Amino acid sequence: MPAGPPEPRPRRRLPGNLVTGAAIVLAVALAALLGPWVAPFPYDEFHIRDRLKAPDAVYWFGTDEYGRDVFSRVLAGSRISLFMGVAATAVSLVCGVALGLAAGFFRGRIDEWLMRLMDLLMSFPPVILGLLILAVTPPSLWKTVLAVGIVYIPAIVRVTRSVTLELVQEEFILAARARGESAGYILFREILPNAWPPIIVEASLRVTFAILLGAALSFLGMGAQPPSSDWGLMISEARSYLDQAWWMAVFPGLVMCLTVVGINLLGDGLREWLDPRLRHGGA
Amino acid sequence: MILYTLRRLALIVLLLWVMSVLLFAITQVLPGNVARMILGQFATADAIEAVETRLGLKDPLVVQYGRWFSHILRGDFGQSLIMERPIGPVLAEALGRSAVLAALSFVLVASVGILLGVIAAVRKNRPVDHAVSVFSYLGISVPEFFWGIAFILVFARWLGWLPSGGYSPMGEGFGNWFARLIGPALTLTFTLIAHVSRLTRSSMLETLRSRYVLAARAKGLPERVILFRHALRNALLPTITVLAIDVGWLFGGIVVVETVFAFPGLGRLVAFAIERRDLPLIQATLLVITAIYCLANLAADLLYAALNPRIRYARRTS
Amino acid sequence: MSPPEAPLLEVEDLCVSYATGFGVLRALHGVSFRLMPGEALGLAGESGSGKSTVALALLGLLGPEAAVSARRLRFGGRDLLSRSPEEKRRLRGRAMAIVFQDPFTALNPSIPVGRQVAEPMVFHRGLAESEALAAAIGLLHQVGIRRPEVVARSYPHQLSGGMQQRALIATALAAEPELLILDEPTTALDVTIEAQILDLLESLRRSRRLSILFISHNLGVIHRLCESVCILYAGEVCETGPTKTVFRDPAHPYTRGLLASLPRLAVGDRKRLSPIPGTLPDLEDPPPGCLFHPRCPYGELRCRREAPLFSSPGPQRSVRCWRVGEIGGVSWEEAVGGARPLADEAGGPAAKASPPLVVVRDLRKRYRLGGFWDALRWEKPAGRKFPRPSWAPRFLHALDGVSLAIAPGEVLGLVGESGCGKTTLGRTILRLIDPDDGAIVVDGREIGSAPEREIRPVRRLAQIVFQNPDSSLNPRKTVGEIIARPLERFGLASGAQARRRVGELLEMVRLAPSYASRYPHQLSGGEKQRVGIARALATSPRFLVCDEAVSALDVSVQAAVLNLLEDLRRELGLAFLFITHDLSVVAHLAHRVLVMYRGGICEEGAIAQVLRPPFHPYTEALLSAVPRIDRGRSRIRLREEGAAAEFDGRGCRFQDRCPRILGKVCRTVTPPLLEPAPGHRIHCHHRLETLAALPSPVDAAPPGAIP
Repeated sequence: MPAGPPEPRPRRRLPGNLVTGAAIVLAVALAALLGPWVAPFPYDEFHIRDRLKAPDAVYWFGTDEYGRDVFSRVLAGSRISLFMGVAATAVSLVCGVALGLAAGFFRGRIDEWLMRLMDLLMSFPPVILGLLILAVTPPSLWKTVLAVGIVYIPAIVRVTRSVTLELVQEEFILAARARGESAGYILFREILPNAWPPIIVEASLRVTFAILLGAALSFLGMGAQPPSSDWGLMISEARSYLDQAWWMAVFPGLVMCLTVVGINLLGDGLREWLDPRLRHGGA
Repeated sequence: MILYTLRRLALIVLLLWVMSVLLFAITQVLPGNVARMILGQFATADAIEAVETRLGLKDPLVVQYGRWFSHILRGDFGQSLIMERPIGPVLAEALGRSAVLAALSFVLVASVGILLGVIAAVRKNRPVDHAVSVFSYLGISVPEFFWGIAFILVFARWLGWLPSGGYSPMGEGFGNWFARLIGPALTLTFTLIAHVSRLTRSSMLETLRSRYVLAARAKGLPERVILFRHALRNALLPTITVLAIDVGWLFGGIVVVETVFAFPGLGRLVAFAIERRDLPLIQATLLVITAIYCLANLAADLLYAALNPRIRYARRTS
Repeated sequence: MSPPEAPLLEVEDLCVSYATGFGVLRALHGVSFRLMPGEALGLAGESGSGKSTVALALLGLLGPEAAVSARRLRFGGRDLLSRSPEEKRRLRGRAMAIVFQDPFTALNPSIPVGRQVAEPMVFHRGLAESEALAAAIGLLHQVGIRRPEVVARSYPHQLSGGMQQRALIATALAAEPELLILDEPTTALDVTIEAQILDLLESLRRSRRLSILFISHNLGVIHRLCESVCILYAGEVCETGPTKTVFRDPAHPYTRGLLASLPRLAVGDRKRLSPIPGTLPDLEDPPPGCLFHPRCPYGELRCRREAPLFSSPGPQRSVRCWRVGEIGGVSWEEAVGGARPLADEAGGPAAKASPPLVVVRDLRKRYRLGGFWDALRWEKPAGRKFPRPSWAPRFLHALDGVSLAIAPGEVLGLVGESGCGKTTLGRTILRLIDPDDGAIVVDGREIGSAPEREIRPVRRLAQIVFQNPDSSLNPRKTVGEIIARPLERFGLASGAQARRRVGELLEMVRLAPSYASRYPHQLSGGEKQRVGIARALATSPRFLVCDEAVSALDVSVQAAVLNLLEDLRRELGLAFLFITHDLSVVAHLAHRVLVMYRGGICEEGAIAQVLRPPFHPYTEALLSAVPRIDRGRSRIRLREEGAAAEFDGRGCRFQDRCPRILGKVCRTVTPPLLEPAPGHRIHCHHRLETLAALPSPVDAAPPGAIP
């Protein structure tokens, strides 16, 4: 008998952070989807007479040095950021899960070499690895996505591998092997369905990292290129006008923070909801 | 333990060598003709030919690599193509400035991060805990470059307390030097403190739930002994591993933060090199950063082993 | 002895409850008992009975989420409930100390053992750190640790399980408490180590006049150590009294059921066990009346309406049952429907004519210890200046030339302590592990080195049931999917036919067909184990490996599963390799037994042969270590030290721990094979007459539970 209260029967109540996070993410996703119809102006329309105007009733977030509406640009930027986060995570998820499963299941040589390769990838700081990948070819959004995706493959591989290593020890896997099941069946029908929860949680974390890294690369001029309304790029461009137009930097920044906080809340909520141990510990 | 350290050092040397090959290979793939970069758009074919011969760009790659690598072994990182100066001194200077910045940030991260995490765990679900948790949420959600800009806006533009960036050597007054260091350092620290404190909190909570802490309570030990002698040491183990990874983050962050604050350190040098495709400079800076990162990981592993008898004594037991 | 001695511990009407999302969970309800100075009281019950909660409540270690109340909770004449947290802390460790179940998790991994033992002396007795450390070394010596100075400097992971538990006992004794609480202190240990720890506790108790509260699910251990016993069921006390009387003449139906569920270590007529039907009640929504009535064969109308009061059927006894006075003459077996003796088939299952179903010859499997670098050593050869490297990996011989044969319909028991290689053997026979060398023949087909493709037909015939009900079923699949998969896999049935077959299989393991739509987390431990058996039976195998298949189950559930396995064997003619550490289970179920030690077989024979002399000294030690409720103790004890060293293949594999070691011959010469009777083999240097003259720790026939 363990200490503490006896395990109550599992009941699933959605944690508050899950709901809050989901609401924020949903709002940002809606903005990304409906942006072009909702936005008061096209994101790249110049209003030369209204350059660097402070926020008012027409330009809610003010205008930039070309008189473009910051609010419309921020809306349009949500599309890039979400795409960045989701697509890059998808890249690392697909590669990472496949490699992680293989390493954890077959172990031995394959595991050894894969993990060395991951160590190598991880021995570069993420921003620098991203920069290096982007430096090879002229920057474009697609390449940024790919670069960010590659940077976070090792993280997904590690999580997948460790949960696979644990699951392989389980007796129901031995039972499958006692039936002579193929490696494919065991990997995809027995292991993967049980490995999802930690991978999902890790992936949700990676979405925020991917958004931040993508924005950082754009900020450094190696990601999205003008006249794109990528949030990182907007902040970078705003640096020259900090004295005259603080809104140019502050609003994209705030919206980006809100988005990332939302996804983090969602991820933490998912973790609590999926992890039965945390579900009762209240940690 | 000594054997282990030596083994790890050998592995690091090997890794650095692999890295040098990789860097060399990658820079070969970079588009753009080096000679044309040096001479400009309108150079004649003859001039380009001459420069290529002089730089040895016509030799086979293996020869080029061998030459480059043997120079590096002698501490000669070659000539920057853009700055047209030897890289060694430039790199050393930038590295020195960044090292101070990184060290200051790291000390802040480790001490404040762990402290906050422990306090939050011990005061679980109290106001302090909630405050720390909100703080760390902000920390991990807000990118460094935005913090940097917000910092400049508030402290330099609006309040006028600090300069908005740049660098001033310590020789020209400690105050100036420090005023230009504190902005980048705090910005760099914020994200990582959040990261470390979150992790410390959760591993501390886990340790406090463990059987041996219950056993320590059953012995009737005072709470402070339970916390510091029984729980903290074991709770710190995962934090140490993460701190090593955070050193990598720190160097990634340095690139961004130094750009924001126009701080002439290693990070700016990397960004500059990549932006301008300065091949020798890219190779040199990245090799140095990788080396630092590997050493940080080694240090973390040694500290981990020192705190964890299960690893320290693994080989002595049968 | 002065008659009116005050009790050391008085517990009256102790209640512990937890607020859950939807109501109140009643973990303990109206628990009362008292403990006199110098007495040892056993707190017995199955998992979920709340016995550990009692210990934590006494120590004040239940979290803030637990609501604790009691009419009276007095320790040493003073009230416990009204004390401040600080006062309680001072009491803990000084006046009452506890030893937890799993010694490894209860010791701090990063603090040397000596310091952990010394801590209570520093904080309760005000000793300086160095004095306390010296005293700790003395204590370690007292609890039977040989080199206490070395052990004091060691870290927990460097010690064996038994040593860790001794260190924890030393810690508990450090501040010289009046009350020692032991919470399943031997459950995680091997039976031979358990016997040593019990010896230690007994001698400490006598030398220090300790009062002991001993919590255990193991009635044998309680019988061994405690004068009185208190049986808990679902958070309530159902019976208390002197251990001997309670076990000889149990009054409460639950106590009777528990005792009837217990397989006995005995030779002779094998009775079917009589398990307790049903499951533990939901403590958030307890049934009205007596908590046990839904499972009680003696129940009557009143039991369903009113909670029973305590009554006393004898001196010092109290029982919470309405019908104490009326049911005395009716045994549990009669009440639940009579215990059929196990009809022994004429000539036994291994009818001489049929060839063996499974044959294993000289099976070998070894594992390299440590990685590449661990095998590298720098040694200075004599006469040389500099050390030279040599690469010599060390191996663990998990299987060191094992041979066996199993006839159709036969149960071959495989016993041994943890780490002896019994699980490896079971898995290697099914080729879940590839052997290094040796032959495995199943149903005439050699599979020892065959590729997976050729093993497939054998996989249908030979299946496995695992130990851990929580890990043996895929949590993401329904019971129906789990059982149907083998049918699909071997093309035995599909669609509606498969569904019908799943229903049949569920019925075969005594589960309702509606279970097919449930998920594993909706099942109890016993039910999960039944599903695991159904899955193994789905392909109509002829041979089952049961790897500790009943070890994780509570006694009453274990009895039901044992009965089920026995029935299946008879109905389907199944052969079993039954791997277990529990000799009583083997004695109950097996026809023949292999005794395994460090990868090799010490003794094998029919169950009646192995349980009686001549013995291998290891078999003798195992048998005499089993704590039992039906007789006193015998004293063959194995040394614990030396168990960690690897057997290097020279001499007898049992030499390091053998209590009857002869001398040099045991260390250098492989022991000869003795064959006192056909099929009974012993590997030992002793003369057969010597072994035959050993006293037997096992009775010829089991005494009835109720004489």
